[in-house]
Amino acid sequence: MKRVVALAGRPNTGKTTLFNALTGLRHRAANFAGCTVEKATGTMRSSGGEIEVVDLPGTFSMVPQTEDEQVAFRFLSECADGTDDLLVLCVAEASNLDNDLVLPVGLKASGYPVALAVNMIDEARLNGIKLDAAELSGRLGMPVALVSARTGEGVSKLDGLLAPSVLRADVSEALDFRRVTKKRLHELQDDAVEKARTAAAASVTWPHRAVLPVTARAIRIDRVLLHPVAGPVILAATMFALFQALFVGAAPVMDLLSGWLASLSELLRARLPDGAMASLLCDGALPGISAVVVFVPQIAILFTMIGFLEQSGYLPRAGAMVDRALRPFGLDGRVFIPFLSSFACAIPGVMAARTIHSEKRRIVTILLAPLMTCSARIPVYTLLITAFVPETFRPLGLNGQGVVMAGMYVFGVVLALLLALALKFTALHELHPAPATVLPPYRIPSVRDLSRYVWARCWHFLSRAGQVIFVMSLVLWALAAFPRDAARLAPLEAELTAARAASPADPALEKSVRDRIAAARIEGSALGRAGRAIEPVFRPLGWDWRVSIASLSALAAREVFVGTLGTIYALGGESDASEGLISALRAAENPDGTKRYGVATAVSLLIFFAIALQCMSTIVTVRRETGGWKIPALQFSFLFALAYALSFAGYRLALAFLV
Amino acid sequence: MTLEALPFDVPVRVTGYAALSVFDKDRLAGLGMRPGVSVVKILKTPLQDPVECLVGTQLLAIEARLLPHIRVEAV
Repeated sequence: MKRVVALAGRPNTGKTTLFNALTGLRHRAANFAGCTVEKATGTMRSSGGEIEVVDLPGTFSMVPQTEDEQVAFRFLSECADGTDDLLVLCVAEASNLDNDLVLPVGLKASGYPVALAVNMIDEARLNGIKLDAAELSGRLGMPVALVSARTGEGVSKLDGLLAPSVLRADVSEALDFRRVTKKRLHELQDDAVEKARTAAAASVTWPHRAVLPVTARAIRIDRVLLHPVAGPVILAATMFALFQALFVGAAPVMDLLSGWLASLSELLRARLPDGAMASLLCDGALPGISAVVVFVPQIAILFTMIGFLEQSGYLPRAGAMVDRALRPFGLDGRVFIPFLSSFACAIPGVMAARTIHSEKRRIVTILLAPLMTCSARIPVYTLLITAFVPETFRPLGLNGQGVVMAGMYVFGVVLALLLALALKFTALHELHPAPATVLPPYRIPSVRDLSRYVWARCWHFLSRAGQVIFVMSLVLWALAAFPRDAARLAPLEAELTAARAASPADPALEKSVRDRIAAARIEGSALGRAGRAIEPVFRPLGWDWRVSIASLSALAAREVFVGTLGTIYALGGESDASEGLISALRAAENPDGTKRYGVATAVSLLIFFAIALQCMSTIVTVRRETGGWKIPALQFSFLFALAYALSFAGYRLALAFLV
Repeated sequence: MTLEALPFDVPVRVTGYAALSVFDKDRLAGLGMRPGVSVVKILKTPLQDPVECLVGTQLLAIEARLLPHIRVEAV
């Protein structure tokens, strides 16, 4: 028998922050309803032994309406079936007890053992609210603790409340939420509302003000941020600043990292004897990994800004602001948070769609979320934009490369809206599924929480990309290094021997022969042959075999594209550590001396990567969220076909007008 | 009187709903918009919809189409 403490409560009452404080874990907490959509588990040590702590998604009432609300009720019923010693620790916001007490009262009436943690007690003090915990405990018939999960105040006192006891609570008569009727849930809800109101009225002393100070401050800020003119301007400026910062702010650190990695590669090449090991490290693993590591500054900037918006309370306001504008497209403000989360990564975006109570709109959101520009696209976009958009391009005095990057973000959003419009004429359309949303109080993001969040996201990016790219780099190196086409290489190697023996020495000639040998090796390798086999499929998009192979390898994860191309160019002798992949792409030439890639190829690649669903993790998540392979299979095929068609159109248009 | 007819920044109390679907009623009740609770219309968002309201101690953005269905009385 193990002690299980389930954290339940209305959304945005600080359950995840308390979960992190109890378990020492660092799960994502944000200042909007519906941040947690799936249960999370951790352990804490108490005086009485080990406790399993479960963070449940928020539930607005005793009548679950959305998928994430049902997760919480389902979990409680499953626990009641088992042999664990269950305690439901309901978390309530001290300034909103009238509403937040309904769930603990309802769960207790349903036969579950319940304790109450009244959270944000520090904010309640600022609001001038006084709470009588003993009175509240007596009225509700459950233990009550006053805490502030954010500052840690009162958290240690929870130990005695949560510690395992010798005997477990009897939950054999607890209500099974999987089988209960809606009528019974409504009865429970109505009874709980009345009892919660009476208990709150008897134990809370309100300040003699019409509006609480924290709420009054939120209203004052809303009058600016939701102003008919200033509001949209501020929203647009915030989004634009985010995308400009990705380029302008990150460039110096990226250059620095790039320089260090180049030095490391040169050092290794100088120290290691010529041979397979040196080639594996310097041409395989290092170029692949360094091609990803240099993008960490951009990832850090992106997540700092997204984390700031999430924790400040601005996101639901932005959602409310765009709500009306999204309705003609068959969407509403509820999709804003899943879509914005998808700018970081499509996986949390797809999962955040659980907060949408209309099943049809949830599916539409899941279908469109991967079109938002996720962080995995940043390395690809940065590589192509830096290589092919000249630094002299400065529209309206702005950084032109930043403008194109912002344009890619806009492209994803516009395409998603157009597809949403098309889906409006299908069976997936539904009218008015979201009548109201909570606008949380504004809070100043904590530097500690923000840094932990950014560090966690950067580490996730590095470890995921690192693992995938390291393995892919090794596989690609092997495919690109073998087999050796001896018949083709023999005359070139003889030429190299002659060049080395020439007197006086001609380093330029020697380098030229070395490059030709490297090119011949990779073209004769398994990778080169496979690339040539698939080249005709992608030739209409302006891609050669190298880009085609890199794009196919990116079906596992988009960022692999950069690593693969880095490995191919390093092994092909067309790029070295001092020049880098960007210079190699700019300088690459066909055998007839013409440029291998131009703006048109970059346009075609950018469009393809903006649309195609090249992420195995997202596909698996969509399968899990939709309960089958049908939707992810349709989504992958449709987006791949659309990506191919629009890339072709973009390539042809760019050839006609830009070249 | 309904919430739609109410001027901004005037506190009132919810008395009930008129011709509202069960889904919308449940959702609003879950969010704290229940008979007896105090309400103030604060502002319209830039596109006039939804409307920000102070319901009890929390701020809600409520779709404008629902306002004619929420009955209120002066405090």
